[in-house]
Amino acid sequence: MTGSPSPASESDLSGGESGGIPALAARVGGPTPPWRPRLSDRTIAVLMLVPAIALLLVTTVYPIANAIILSFHQYNPSLPLAKPVFNNGENYVRLLSDPAFLNTIRITVIFVVVAVILELLLGLGLGLLITAQRRGIGIVRVAMLLPFMMAPVAAGVLWRTLFNVQWGPLNDILRTLGLPEQQFLASPDQALASVIMVEVWQQVPPVAFIVAAGILSISPDLFKASAVDGASFWQTFRHVTLPMLRPIIAIILLLRVMDAFKVYDIIQTLTEGGPATQTENVSYLIWKTGMRFFQTGYASAMSVVFLVIVFLISLVFIRALDRAQSATGAER
Amino acid sequence: MRVVSFGRTMLRALVYASIVAVMAFPIYWLVLTSLKPQRLTQTRPPTYWTDQLSLGAYERLLADPDIQHFFINSLAVAILATITTVSLGSLAAYSISRTHLSYRVRRGLLVWILLTRIFPPIVIAIPFFTIMRSAGLADTVLGLAIAHVSVTLPFVIWLLLGFFQEVPNELERAAMLDGCSMWRRFWQVNLPLVMPGIAVTSIFAFIISWNEYLFAAVLTSFNAQTLPVAIASFIGERRLEWTTMAALGTLMLMPVMVVALLVQRYIVRGLTFGAVKE
Repeated sequence: MTGSPSPASESDLSGGESGGIPALAARVGGPTPPWRPRLSDRTIAVLMLVPAIALLLVTTVYPIANAIILSFHQYNPSLPLAKPVFNNGENYVRLLSDPAFLNTIRITVIFVVVAVILELLLGLGLGLLITAQRRGIGIVRVAMLLPFMMAPVAAGVLWRTLFNVQWGPLNDILRTLGLPEQQFLASPDQALASVIMVEVWQQVPPVAFIVAAGILSISPDLFKASAVDGASFWQTFRHVTLPMLRPIIAIILLLRVMDAFKVYDIIQTLTEGGPATQTENVSYLIWKTGMRFFQTGYASAMSVVFLVIVFLISLVFIRALDRAQSATGAER
Repeated sequence: MRVVSFGRTMLRALVYASIVAVMAFPIYWLVLTSLKPQRLTQTRPPTYWTDQLSLGAYERLLADPDIQHFFINSLAVAILATITTVSLGSLAAYSISRTHLSYRVRRGLLVWILLTRIFPPIVIAIPFFTIMRSAGLADTVLGLAIAHVSVTLPFVIWLLLGFFQEVPNELERAAMLDGCSMWRRFWQVNLPLVMPGIAVTSIFAFIISWNEYLFAAVLTSFNAQTLPVAIASFIGERRLEWTTMAALGTLMLMPVMVVALLVQRYIVRGLTFGAVKE
């Protein structure tokens, strides 16, 4: 994460533009009208950044600062004329002993770990499969686009009908196979697994696409060499493909873990956190506390703790990504 | 020999078919449900096929003034968010892709931009709710579009960065020697060359905004409500109209699917913030 402004690292971002050129251009000059002072490239570069940075500050840093401040207050915005009242960190004290919050953390962790592992394993398999240049692969690819192009909120609604205990096709398939009917979303034991299933259904295709792109970027010489050495399919996968995919897998893990922490839409439409609180993750509890119970201060305290957790975990993954990339010598 | 290869072909066909089935069956079910008569949506065993298909649900849906209103909102928010993000994002991405600012500054900005993408949206959704209220933007298309920009902008900057870096440096240098200012180099040299990138990025930004639910649910009530909120609200109703709900789901998916097929080649790039190129 440390970047020294050496010429070598300069080229890392722009592909090796030499520093002398701007000075030369300035000396040569263009047909600059004398009455209008020409802005330097540096100034223009800053000006180009200003609108985007300003907007990002307003839409991310400001709300987060706002949440941090509110987290030290008691505030119910649904009451007219209500003002935030400072309550001396009471929200945080309450949070640490709130079984509901601790429960959502447990559920979130289970959700993230199980969903991401399944997505990675299935994605690897599917990714290997779709790199084959066979007839009919186009149809498989298009079919794989469907789940993850669907709005998660709509996917939740759709799967609710598929999971329906009486009329849903899933139980009908189980009956046809001679298996017992399941309760799916209605069962405290199966609800979380069912939600994970929908998440995996939506997110395996993108993982597989990324894996496929990674495999196609591996030099064919490596595969030829391992074929010459008489390696079996598994040996090749284990000793050539997998090691070469390390940076790609690190990227997938970073992106998928971050997104799995954010999941909210499918929970809202599949289970609304139920039965009881069996599928309530941190995002859902924050929403419920803030938007249904209007305990904005308390919800903000949850948000801050959640943010810190997600931030620390993502740092771990970004580090791992850096290491994986330097290990395989990928230039990016 | 022939038998073995025939067996293999069959096996492969079976594997492909089962993948297609798992991925596409739910969507088939959605489309079929939207075309079924209402009474066939709740049968045991489920009705997997019927001749009595009708577009009635779509007619009801499209004639519903509320749905029309939500549809226009969805479109307006997505277009507004896309135009804002792509114009601001392309300026920023171009600036970061060149070396006029120090490496340290550019690298720092990129990491910070990436971090803004990592934040769970619920964390900013609740403060947004109070901020938008005091700014008078609660339940407005503009307010929701601003919220969506916070999601799309980091993504777009990273994605466009890759496209700007692909513009050959010789062109930039030649333009510099001709005395073009950075501003002109952006407009007249780089922008025409990255137009495909801009198009791809716009489509991704549009899809993100079109499918977004959390901000829409928190920040809007009716005036600026969008289709994702409309489809979620079906859940709460006592007499669930499955056909109408499925028709709405299908209508939401169709435009996204069409544009996704257009940019299929760039999907991996979009998925990985430009880190992996196909």
